[in-house]
Amino acid sequence: MSKAQLILVLTLCVGLFSVVQAQTYTPGQTVDRDFKGFAHKFLNTHCIDCHGGSDPEGSLSLEDLGPVDEVNAAVWKSVWAQVALGEMPPKDVSEVEVVQRLQFSDWIVHQLSQEMEDKGGFNAHRDPNKGNYLDHDLLFGPLPEGIKLAPTSSPARIWRVTPQEHITRLNELINKEPEFDPEKPGLRTHGDVVPTNHGGELKLYFGTDRITKWVGGTVAYATAVKSVPAVLSSDRKHGLENYPEFYTVNSSEATQILGKAEDIIKYMVDGPLSLVGMPEQITDDPATYDRVKPRGDLRGLPTAITYSTEIARPLTPVYDLMKEEGVTDERLCAAVDYLFEALTFRPASKEESDEYITIVRQSIEKLGKEDGVVLGLSSIFLDRDALFRPELVENGKPDRHGRVMLQDWELGLAVNHALRYVKPDEELRKAIIEGRMRTREDVRREVERMLADDSIRKPRILRFFRDYFDYDLGGYICKDTNSLTETGINTRFVQHHYRAMFDATASTDRLVELILQEDKDVLKQLLTTDKVVAYPTDNVYFGSKLNKAERQALAIKAKKAAEAQAKKEEAKIAELEQKVDDLDSQLKANPQEKETQRELERAEKTLAAEKKRVAAAKRQRSSDNSSIAEAKFSGPEIYARVSRRSFGSHGSFSNGSMKPERVLGTASEGQRLGILTHPSWLVSHSDAMDNHAILRGRWIRERLLGGGVPDVPVTVDAMLPDEPHNTLRERMRVTKENYCWTCHQKMDPLGLPFEMYNHAGLFRTSELDKPVDTTGEIINSGDPTLDGPVDNAIDMIQKLAESERTEQVFVRHAFRFWMGRNETLNDAPLLQEAYCAYKDSGGSMKALLTSLLTSDTFLFRTKN
Amino acid sequence: MLNRRKMLQGVAAGAGAAFGLSLNPQRLLASSTGQSTPKRIIFFMQNQGFDPQTCIPEGMKQSGSLAKAKLPEPISALEPYKERLHIINGLHGMHTSPSHSAFFGALGGYRGSDGVPPSAPTIDYELSKILPQTLLPHLCIGMDSLGNMKSKPTIATLSASGAGQPIFMHSNPNHLYQMLYGGISSGDIRLQFEARSNLLDQVEQLAAAEGKSLSKLDHQRYGQYVQGFKDVNGLRDRLNTVADHLRKFAPKVDERYTHPEFETDWHDVNLELGISALTSGITNTLTIASGRGEIFGSWKGLGVEKQGHDLGHMGQPDNPIWIKIRQYNSRMLVRIMESLESVPEGSGTMMDHTLIVYTSNNADKQHTNGANWPVMLLGNLDGAFKTGCFTQLDGKRPINSLYTALLRAAGKNVDRFNMNEKMARKFDSGTGPLKEVLT
Repeated sequence: MSKAQLILVLTLCVGLFSVVQAQTYTPGQTVDRDFKGFAHKFLNTHCIDCHGGSDPEGSLSLEDLGPVDEVNAAVWKSVWAQVALGEMPPKDVSEVEVVQRLQFSDWIVHQLSQEMEDKGGFNAHRDPNKGNYLDHDLLFGPLPEGIKLAPTSSPARIWRVTPQEHITRLNELINKEPEFDPEKPGLRTHGDVVPTNHGGELKLYFGTDRITKWVGGTVAYATAVKSVPAVLSSDRKHGLENYPEFYTVNSSEATQILGKAEDIIKYMVDGPLSLVGMPEQITDDPATYDRVKPRGDLRGLPTAITYSTEIARPLTPVYDLMKEEGVTDERLCAAVDYLFEALTFRPASKEESDEYITIVRQSIEKLGKEDGVVLGLSSIFLDRDALFRPELVENGKPDRHGRVMLQDWELGLAVNHALRYVKPDEELRKAIIEGRMRTREDVRREVERMLADDSIRKPRILRFFRDYFDYDLGGYICKDTNSLTETGINTRFVQHHYRAMFDATASTDRLVELILQEDKDVLKQLLTTDKVVAYPTDNVYFGSKLNKAERQALAIKAKKAAEAQAKKEEAKIAELEQKVDDLDSQLKANPQEKETQRELERAEKTLAAEKKRVAAAKRQRSSDNSSIAEAKFSGPEIYARVSRRSFGSHGSFSNGSMKPERVLGTASEGQRLGILTHPSWLVSHSDAMDNHAILRGRWIRERLLGGGVPDVPVTVDAMLPDEPHNTLRERMRVTKENYCWTCHQKMDPLGLPFEMYNHAGLFRTSELDKPVDTTGEIINSGDPTLDGPVDNAIDMIQKLAESERTEQVFVRHAFRFWMGRNETLNDAPLLQEAYCAYKDSGGSMKALLTSLLTSDTFLFRTKN
Repeated sequence: MLNRRKMLQGVAAGAGAAFGLSLNPQRLLASSTGQSTPKRIIFFMQNQGFDPQTCIPEGMKQSGSLAKAKLPEPISALEPYKERLHIINGLHGMHTSPSHSAFFGALGGYRGSDGVPPSAPTIDYELSKILPQTLLPHLCIGMDSLGNMKSKPTIATLSASGAGQPIFMHSNPNHLYQMLYGGISSGDIRLQFEARSNLLDQVEQLAAAEGKSLSKLDHQRYGQYVQGFKDVNGLRDRLNTVADHLRKFAPKVDERYTHPEFETDWHDVNLELGISALTSGITNTLTIASGRGEIFGSWKGLGVEKQGHDLGHMGQPDNPIWIKIRQYNSRMLVRIMESLESVPEGSGTMMDHTLIVYTSNNADKQHTNGANWPVMLLGNLDGAFKTGCFTQLDGKRPINSLYTALLRAAGKNVDRFNMNEKMARKFDSGTGPLKEVLT
């Protein structure tokens, strides 16, 4: 019998076997089979033929692979990835039934989870980046026979709040944010997330809304104001980054929170008085402070700032408690209850309230009122529910599938958290208290109400788009200055590039919101819009890098224009100098002529001013960027959300804080199409010196096509050759080696079409003075109508934007974000329903969200 | 996933609530009876740059011995210690964007700037993890103007335990004393300590009670949160058990703590506390930030009336102000060495197993591109580092290569620190540790 015949017979045998098994297969059920009778058989039948013998494929022999243990866990993980993805066994070598494949990968996951439980655990199958390991066609296509789906739910769990949620929650205690202004949507408003600052750092600022004057420039301001960075950590470099099981609060963070809590409480009580060195700094007339302020250079010191007397912070029961003599039970209870609800978003129970009152009383006993209250109240900041959000369904009754529906505060806060970072609005709070948050219809009512009201800010939706697109990382990509200069960006002040990237993130945020406002074909619009929310620096970043001939022509033109301008300026100065000389002579002849004296002074001033202007113009001409053609944006004025003033507004080395003003412009046709061609996304998917075609391709493969890419094998030295005179495409030839290409064909041909932009995001037609090659190909997308070559990124995006598969993959990612877990096959009906809701509504995000948030997965929890 | 040691490192670094894996009081003893020799590293980061002319002996252009050289005036206090000194000129930190300050990039060896969060752990934190363990693995202290130290007693600008995970430095000596020696303190510090201890005990109980109904997976995760409090509270008890030992090293609280005349009073007592944390064996890594990693700072106690940003705009060589500041730094370095020398350890003294890294968080001057980043090393960390010499490098190896050398000497066999191969092609002419400093 030949090898092929043997494989065929074995495959048929296993096929028969699997059909028998398939009748009872339910995804997620433990595959209670032993290694020898199940896994070993699978390996022998489908794998050993290639991965055995003296020269195994990929130098990986599975011949001696035994039951899962700590030592071989990495190999089993790799086997799991290959089998789950359908990469192995290769279809042309050995056919595996769907059910058999699912059972085998479930078995590996179960075994790895058990084996690694006390050794760091096995969590790869929970990683959102591996969510696509579940075949897309199984979720959205017809189910193979023999699979019985179970009613879906999510596990009972606790979520740690994200750094953004935490800072926003704390910000509510000390800063009042403006109410939503329908005339100026986009401006930072109450309920929006606290944005990162000019350097990309997430910080809580104290009292910056009351600063009237400070000494020094930009950095002096940034040093003198009080701010504290986010304490909770988030170590994922994006993608969907907030599954409940990712994070805890370590003891370092807990103790830091305690320290910051004391600062916050002091500010709640005393406002800016808690920040200053002298009470005279609180004044509406900074001149009064000037008279008494300490001598010497105050720049960067707390004493450098004056604050207005206007009370801008919220005055709360904590303030009331401290402003009154003594400590009454009533006041103390009110302060504890207020703080508890502000931090946990739900009222304290009587027991909880009493516990914290006791702690505060004990602290007061030890330290006296002032210090005791501050220390005692800070303990509430460490309450479990101030840092974690529970979905534990402790009180509900399980249905016949063992699922318990969330209700009351848990359900209300789950709905609130799906959309918001601040506590439930009055209506939702009332509904929870009155027992009207217990049914699917209750949830639908509240979700639809909140979605319809623009004044109820919903930063979680925007967060999803950041997580999905990853367009907000550009400012964190460290750029090599020389390489950045070559892109056409002026790097005289390299920090301006990073600032421009944070501005670009804010602009893209706003563009996403504008598309959500329309709520039609949301994904398609995001992928194909010609609109650009533009900040002045975008004229450069959305511009195009000129090729050599264009640069030379422009340089000649610019030189001629500069020479002509210089001549004019010289003539003008000569004329003014002559006038001064004449007046001077006239005055020498008649020293008593007062009018001549005055005229001479005026002429001298005019001459000095003109010389200054000419010198500035000359400097400007010499720094004019002759290597790019700037984009010119015009359109209606709009606003983007930026940080509170985190940096001074003047100074010799900075533009100061970020500014919200933008225009809504239109991108050059043929050069840009949708978010993926905007600098914010392109730079986010670049590296220090070049584009990152692999990363871009991976993004397309995973987030639009729903494909999976296995982890890079540890044996691979993932480096491109260092050849400065070769293009990235040329250097990427190494990924075409057989061993690499299996995976890289999924990414590289999808990323290389973006070579029409350089790594700062500028459009280009040439690279290294040769026409740039922007071709690529969609290979094995899962939708045969998509497969085939593409001319460039725009061509590819147009194809993808029309695809039903792409929309379905988008829905899968929305599912992961809002459910906090990867989809399983049991979720297939829900996903199909959610997709229908999106499609039938003409691509409405609101419809998609309503469908997801009223689904069983969102509403029901299963314990263990 | 967090492991226990990582978690412990975190709490100690962040809050200074000190505890560690080996909560055996014996480990606190200066003369360790354990098998691994205690080692310690101190980073002293002066802000505004470190001009090479203020440390390289006049006329010294080539690498060579310092034996016959005379140290320049700003560091003349180190003259008696020159056989322990290694002056290094010609490392670079261009990739750290040090204009005004490289912030986390100075100890991280990556891009840092105002407002830019850390993108990876810094070298001091990494070392604290691998040096023989102490109760408090990492302590950071910061020195600034009195106003800033009072209004912002903890800030995070230089050290980090990971991407987006800054480590706070302590500037108010009263808080720092409470943290280190609250159990043996008296007066107001004692009251604060007791109140805080009581609060943390109760928070632990509340946290533990709230975790009872969690699933297995959540229980493990939430358990780490509860465990953090248990460790903090447990450590306090353990420190109490070695109170007699700590008393030998704890500084005396005096007027300088409660009524400082100048900021330098607090600088001095913070330094004393830092030294005592080393000599008592509480910590193995101390980061001292003079100017707190920013571009301001104040030294009125030295008779320097100017403060803040202007100090950076001045040239440092032959500048009376900068001579005073650098001399003050040098005297602090001497105090550290003398203190460590006075404590027997193994067959020698603590100083024998110590290395001090003195440099700036901003290369050589305030407005710099980081092409030159002078460093002074003092001590040899158990014979691992060359001493008594000056080394002139060619400006092609980054500060990361020095940090790699520190990691190697501490026992971690790595070729690079926080620099991938792609960046290394651009910014590092070599591979592995800076061999010029290692014996």
